[in-house]
Amino acid sequence: MKIVAVTACPTGIAHTYMAAEALENAAKKLGHKIKVETQGSIGIENKITQKEVDEADLVIFAADVAVKEESRFKDKPIYKVEAQKAIKNAKAVIEEALKLVNK
Amino acid sequence: MLINKNLVTLNLEAKNKEEAIIKLAELAQKEGKITSVEEYARSVFDREKAYTTGVGNGIAIPHGKSKAVKEAMIVFGKTTDGIEWDSLDGKPVNLIFLLGVPEENVDNVHLKILSQLSRKLMNDSFIEMLKKAVTVEEILNALSDIQVS
Repeated sequence: MKIVAVTACPTGIAHTYMAAEALENAAKKLGHKIKVETQGSIGIENKITQKEVDEADLVIFAADVAVKEESRFKDKPIYKVEAQKAIKNAKAVIEEALKLVNK
Repeated sequence: MLINKNLVTLNLEAKNKEEAIIKLAELAQKEGKITSVEEYARSVFDREKAYTTGVGNGIAIPHGKSKAVKEAMIVFGKTTDGIEWDSLDGKPVNLIFLLGVPEENVDNVHLKILSQLSRKLMNDSFIEMLKKAVTVEEILNALSDIQVS
């Protein structure tokens, strides 16, 4: 599966990046391709292009604040969770999200 | 530098998370990183209220953005007695990273270092290294290879 994900949190200092790292590690272990965009205090990093959205099977938002430029993802299945869920158990988040596609 | 030997303590004694945050903030004030322990701590407590920064694995990463912060900083504290932190995995905390960021004119390089540190805290071998460290130098060494890409 090809997954694109966005992480964000209120201060944008810690959880945004921890969630990103956790999702990247878990996706790798599960054998999926993932690109994670971080929307933190530094601004948007590793930005997901429209082409990448189009090619993705699934979108994950691990965010506690509104995701910027959300319209990019409008035609895709989006799985939304709190950032801390991804930090706690990213594997479970990805497995849950995949159910949106495998229905 | 975001951290130096005076911002590391290996025998932090605190009864609860509030006390731990205050004690670490006091180190930051001594180093001139913050102007007011009270004002800075308030920003950290507010952040804790939103949801816990106890991210599991014995680690907490309390942080605050405040006018009282003069320069971005990391303060590290290790405790032998675990502190209750309402962690995601319910376990007490032994390793605490207190982060501070000024309200305005934040150096992007500093923010990048903090983001890299956050990512590393998801890495089990990095955590093991910190848990095993018995000297301040070992802690500083572990943190020194955080690269800004």
